[in-house]
Amino acid sequence: MTTSTFVAGKGWLYRFDPRAKILLMLLLCVWFFLPVHLVGLYCAVALIVFTGGLNTGFSHVWKIFRSILPMLLFMVLFMPFNVRTGRPLFSVGSVTIVTEEGLMQAARLAGRFIGISYVCTLLFATTIMNEVMLALRWYRLPYKAGLVVTLAFTYIPFIADSFSQIAESHRLREADREQGRKFLQRLKDLVPTLTSALVVALRSIPNLAMSLEMRGFGLQNRRSQYHNLGSYRHPFTHFLLSVIIPVVLWLLCKA
Amino acid sequence: MQQNRNALKVAVVAVLTAVVVVFTMVVRIPTAKGYLNLCDVAICFIAFTFGPWSAFIAAGLGTALADLISGYAQWAPISFVVHGVEGLLIALIVRRQGDKEASLIRKLFAGLVCIATVSLGYFALSSLFISTVSVAAAEIPGNIAQSGVGFVLGLGVASAVKRAYPPVRSLAW
Repeated sequence: MTTSTFVAGKGWLYRFDPRAKILLMLLLCVWFFLPVHLVGLYCAVALIVFTGGLNTGFSHVWKIFRSILPMLLFMVLFMPFNVRTGRPLFSVGSVTIVTEEGLMQAARLAGRFIGISYVCTLLFATTIMNEVMLALRWYRLPYKAGLVVTLAFTYIPFIADSFSQIAESHRLREADREQGRKFLQRLKDLVPTLTSALVVALRSIPNLAMSLEMRGFGLQNRRSQYHNLGSYRHPFTHFLLSVIIPVVLWLLCKA
Repeated sequence: MQQNRNALKVAVVAVLTAVVVVFTMVVRIPTAKGYLNLCDVAICFIAFTFGPWSAFIAAGLGTALADLISGYAQWAPISFVVHGVEGLLIALIVRRQGDKEASLIRKLFAGLVCIATVSLGYFALSSLFISTVSVAAAEIPGNIAQSGVGFVLGLGVASAVKRAYPPVRSLAW
């Protein structure tokens, strides 16, 4: 199981301070809900997608688009038929099928959805998880919360591997029963696999707690940090840019 | 002693969060708006076994992390709230009183609350922040099925784990 969201690269987004990047992401997410021109909205989305392509590569940009495509299609195909207000564009007899208002709403919704998806994904594609956690701690995320997330990421591959092995061995034992089983029976047969995987995961908890104690977790002394965000130069400029970019976009695109 | 208890709490929540991520990502059925998965099995198991706060943190954080890893980052805050509240409510309803297990009626009520929280929570928050009422409404049947099946399997898995690994009771807080 791949748990890393980081895509290696050297673009300017990688050199942007993670703390400022989080602020920029939040402000841009808010920006997408402001009343802006449809053309302005799509220009901003195109700018974000293009920036993402230059930094993480256009293959990654295409991969993100493929993952959101099913929902996007669903929105665009479903939405116009649910809006009855506005000028009718297509009618069968006295029944209005599509209105101009419906099409505009679908287009706005799709643009907003693409924009938010790319903004959120680009943060995690251009920042390693360790630095995201350091940035969140700078925003006063408690140490324990950061530690829980870091430990969870360490344990995900171990639990996923155990789950796969247990599922495979259960499947081998029940190979002759595999065909012709009903859906409910299949669900019932899932219980032993899930139980075994959970027991394996739960058995690791006492050892983890013990190793945390041995490392001095919970002592009053302030903990030293090996990693920090000091390598990012000009944080003030980055914070300023994080505020300026959404404000300029808003001034250019407001309805 | 307090230090030991804190280390155990962190270890429990971290491993349970990882369990929720794995259960969310291992079995995935793609739908129009994302995917259906087994996260509710893990959440119900945690709520039945570990209590409200472990359930709230592990369920919320686990599903949000799974969304981030899978490339559905925009759903992460919604998943955190909906599944966190789901875990918290189920655990509060089926909480043990002394040595007595929760009655069947309370378990059934917890199941209904689980289904209602997931389907209505996703409907309300996604229609408010991501899509519209009509698009969000189309996803309700899938969420009802996922949370219903998840609750039943979670109930079965919780009792099976308690039999297979009795020390699990000492890990709850």
